[in-house]
Formats: sequence, structure tokens, C-alpha cells
Amino acid sequence: MQRGGTMEVLQVDGVKKSFRGDMSFASREVLHGVSFSAGAGEILGFLGPNGAGKTTTIKIILGLLRPDSGSVQIFGKPLADRSVMKRVGYLPENPYIYPHLTLSEFLRFCADLSDVPANVAASRVREVSSLLGLEEHANRRTKGFSKGMLQRAGLAQAILDEPDLLILDEPFSGLDPIGRKTVKDILLDLKGRGKTIFFSSHILPDMEALCDRACIIKDGAVIRTVGLAEVFRIGEGMVEITARGCPVSELDPVSGYMDSVAVNGEEIFLVVRKRELVRTVVQHLYNSGAEVLNVSNHHPSLEEVFMSEINGKITEERESAGIQHYAGHATGGGER
Amino acid sequence: MRKIYSVALNTFRESAREKLFYLVIIYAMVLLVSVFILSPLSVGAAKGKIVTDVGLAGISILGILTAIIVGSNLVHKEVDKKAVLMVLARPVSRAEYLVGKFAGVALSLAVLIGIMTAVLAVMMLLGGAALTPAVFLAVGLSLVEIGLIIAVMIFFSTFTTPLLTSFFTICIFVAGTLSGDLRLFAQKFGGKAMNYVTDVLYFILPNLKVFNLRHEAVHGLRYSASEILLPAAYGVVYTCAMLYFAWLVFRRREFS
Ligand SMILES: Nc1ncnc2c1ncn2[C@@H]1O[C@H](COP(=O)(O)OP(=O)(O)OP(=O)(O)O)[C@@H](O)[C@H]1O
Ligand SMILES: [Mg+2]
Repeated sequence: MQRGGTMEVLQVDGVKKSFRGDMSFASREVLHGVSFSAGAGEILGFLGPNGAGKTTTIKIILGLLRPDSGSVQIFGKPLADRSVMKRVGYLPENPYIYPHLTLSEFLRFCADLSDVPANVAASRVREVSSLLGLEEHANRRTKGFSKGMLQRAGLAQAILDEPDLLILDEPFSGLDPIGRKTVKDILLDLKGRGKTIFFSSHILPDMEALCDRACIIKDGAVIRTVGLAEVFRIGEGMVEITARGCPVSELDPVSGYMDSVAVNGEEIFLVVRKRELVRTVVQHLYNSGAEVLNVSNHHPSLEEVFMSEINGKITEERESAGIQHYAGHATGGGER
Repeated sequence: MRKIYSVALNTFRESAREKLFYLVIIYAMVLLVSVFILSPLSVGAAKGKIVTDVGLAGISILGILTAIIVGSNLVHKEVDKKAVLMVLARPVSRAEYLVGKFAGVALSLAVLIGIMTAVLAVMMLLGGAALTPAVFLAVGLSLVEIGLIIAVMIFFSTFTTPLLTSFFTICIFVAGTLSGDLRLFAQKFGGKAMNYVTDVLYFILPNLKVFNLRHEAVHGLRYSASEILLPAAYGVVYTCAMLYFAWLVFRRREFS
């Protein structure tokens, strides 16, 4: 995972973790040797289905849980060195904000704990509150905050001290579209200033829009780390056609040209393997009485890669019986 | 130091914004005023003594009860609700966190007891009792005792539920108040084994009797400086030891 020999900002090596059951002494391993790393100025997405072990991994990175084995290094320092936390911002999943404090009081408390110099703390608190659109609520107790407001407050405390490494557990959860846009802009701005961001999310389009790479975890093991550029290259040269008014059976003569075919009600989505074949396919569609609605370059989405990874298409060694296999990039073409 | 102060201030705000805090103050006032009004038979010095007696005892008991109610939730609530995640993921050591929590609750109780003592002082003056230094020293020792109880509670709350924390703490409070008597009783009447058990208990449990200077304060009896200084030092040492044990547990804790 070490790339280019430069020091990684975040380095996770062979982390294993098991939890003891409540009643029994038997323990269940939920992380089986998780390894990945993130370099300076990179946005690394952490992608995986519910219960894959994302939150557990993140808590281990922050020293809130102890790994059974394996190691975590932040800025080249081991976890035991707490001083490094000064350079780290963290948003827990479903952040709990003290309800007895007002937002400013809470952020001020966080600033003090993070050693933000007293003379700049007040202005930093104002700055991040307005960055997250909470300035009107700064002097309200957080007791009455909505879920999205709490999430914004949680993000505000995470970026309070301009951390060099930002670790976010589902930063987009509970946010409205404007909030998501705001947070995306903030993250891109931080990246532009050389900060490293590691975040987990279920919202694939958000992840696609932000990440340089995505680390895909399933059942406590990293199954693949993909560069987003690489994802886009998978479908290079393919063309997507949307048509209507023609039964799929009519397509048999040109089926060899197709990477995938999907049907959604009246509409058919075709992915043609090569640009040169498009003319033939379109001609055939017209001859069969179909109406061609759209022809465009095909980009597989992260979602498709994610789905095929999770369902075990590419990682043959992880194939297990009973998992449904996806054929190529068959799904999702029409959702774009 | 700044971090300990921040955690303490936050904890103080939390308890100061609880209704319980004000209920206790109101209750203490009602108690003192009713004692003042309901003791019309006795006049002068006797009346003053009754007010002082009930007042000092009330302050001690109410203080300890409030400490147990406020403190039992203390660490557990933060861990349970995950407030602790955002705190401990900052450059804050677990020791700083625990000491801050302790200081915050102790500060809340000090303010509470300060207010109750002020009310008592007014009643005593109205009742014609002398406001001797002993009265304030008695309150001070009560506060040291409460600090010790808070530390015991913090120790328990690092690994058990609020309910068990308050249960264990009340047990220790009762046993700690009686342990001296029990030991004497065993020495007089008990067998060898019994003696041994009460000796061990006597040395492990806090000896809370030493913090009671109320009798001297009420009746204007003589007391020596060592009767103040030794218990105070004992309380501080015991409190630090409990916080140390709490840290031994807490630094190994995981937050899932
Ligand atoms: N304290 C715990 N005790 C026992 N099992 C646990 C504990 N915490 C997590 N687990 C288990 O570890 C696995 C991974 O959980 P984790 O919360 O890391 O998943 P996640 O990827 O964050 O899921 P989600 O997307 O739902 O947030 C799950 O199977 C969960 O049941
Ligand atoms: Mg999670």
C-alpha cells in the first residue's frame, strides 16, 4: 500500500479486532486484518455495506477502541502518542452534542480541548458556525437541534482546528441537499489546502464526486482499493444507448456488440462495446421500429464497481456460494 | 491544566443547569426556615443551637445525596451517549478527563453548599446563635467528605451502571460512617476472625467519622488544629487514591 515512498498521513496495517458477546466469553472477529493508507492532500473514501466494520476501523484509528493486533500510524506516529490528535479532526457517526450547552459554548469547549489559542478561539467558533450555516443558532441550546443541525454542529467541531487529517464517519447522513453541497465544498476546499480526508459513506454519488480513491470493505476485510480515475477507465470507449418501443428479442442479431442490456418498462438501455459499432446498432434499432432517445459515452459509476465487488465478481478468491453474481455493468446505466 | 478546567467548567454547567440543583436549594431553605419557626418553645441560645444542629446536619446529608444523584450518572452518561468520543479523540488524556469531571462535580457541590451555608448563617444570626469559626470548619470538613464520596463514585462509574454506582457508593458511605464503631464493637465482643474482618474493613473503607465536627460546632466545644488538619489531609489522600484507581480502569476502557 505504501506509494511513492513518501510518509503516509494515515497508515493502517493488518488491524484485527474481535468483540466479546454480551453473555458468552466467545468472541467474534469483526476485522480480519484491515490495511490501507492515505497520503497528504488525498480524499480517501471508505465504502462498505452496513456492518462491514467501517465505524470499528475508524474508532481504532482514533484510539477509542484497541486493536487485537496490527498497527495504526498517523503522521508516522503510533497511536499511543496522543499529541498527534491535535492535527486530527473527527466526526463520529450520529454525533452527540451536550444538550445543556449552546452551540457556541460547545464549540468553545472543543476549541479549548484542542489547544486552540484563547485569542483566536472565539473567531474560529464564529467562522465554522457560519461555514456550516448555523450562525443563527449559535446562542441556542443544542437540545432543540434537529438531526441535520446536530450533524452540522458535529462537522463544525471536526474542522474547528483546521486539522491536517480529517476523519469523518458518514458526514452526509441526515443532511439536506444544500447541506450536502456545503459539506462537499468545505471538503474540497480543505483538500485544496493540502489536508487529508478519510470518510465513510453510503451515498455513492457523493463519494464519486469527492474521492481520489475508494477503499472497499466487506465483512471486516478490505477487498479492493480503487482509484476513481481507474473506475472511469473501465468503460472507456463504450457507448450508452437509450431506446424505446422495441422488444428485446429484436436485438438478437446485434447482441454480440453489446456489453450489457437492461430493460426498464418501455425503455431499453444498451451499452455498446465499441464506438465503431454504434452506427450498426442504431440502424438496427430504427429498422425494428424503435425510437432512439439518447446516445452518450458510457461511464460506469462507482456504484457499479461497488456492487460487483460486493457481490464478488472481481475478487474470485473471495467468491462464496449463495451470492448472486452480477453480469458486467448491466445495472445502473439508466440511472445516470 | 486548561483542558482540566474546560472539562470541569462543562461539567459544572451541566449540573448547574439541572433542576435538581435548585430543588435542593429550595428544600434546604424550607427546612431551615421551618426549623426556625417551629422551635418557638425554646428561645435564645437553645433556639440557636437547634437551628445550627439541624442546619449543619442537613447541609451534610443534602450535599451527599445531591453528590450521589448528580455524580452517579457522570461518566456513564457520557460514555453511553457517546459524548466522550469527541472529547477523547482530541489531544486530551484520560487522566485529564477524569480529574476534570471530578473537579466539575466538586465545584458544583461547593457552590451548592456555599449557598446553603449562607442561608444557615442568616438563620443562625436571626436565632441569636454565635457564628463561630467552628461552624464554617464543620462545613469545610463536610465538603472534604463529599469530595471523597465523589471520587469513590467516579471510580465506580468508570466500570458500572449509574444504579450500581449509587448503590455501591451508599454502601461505602454507610459502612464508612460505621466502620469505626464496628471495629470497637468487634474488639470488645467479637472473636479473633471478626476482629480481623473489621480491622481490614476499617483500613480499606474511608473513615467518614473523622469529618464530623458538627457536635463541636453546635455546642461550642474545644477542638485542636489536628482535628481539622488530619482529617483534611486524610480526605485529600483518599480522594487522590480513588481517582488513581479510577484512572487505572478508565485508561484501559474502550468506547464502542
Ligand atoms: N461493541 C460491539 N460489540 C459487539 N459487536 C460489535 C460491537 N461494535 C460493532 N460490532 C460488530 O462489528 C461489526 C462492524 O460494525 P461497524 O459498526 O464497524 O459497521 P459499519 O461498517 O460502521 O456499519 P454501518 O454502515 O451500519 O455504520 C458489526 O457486525 C457489529 O455487529
Ligand atoms: Mg458505521
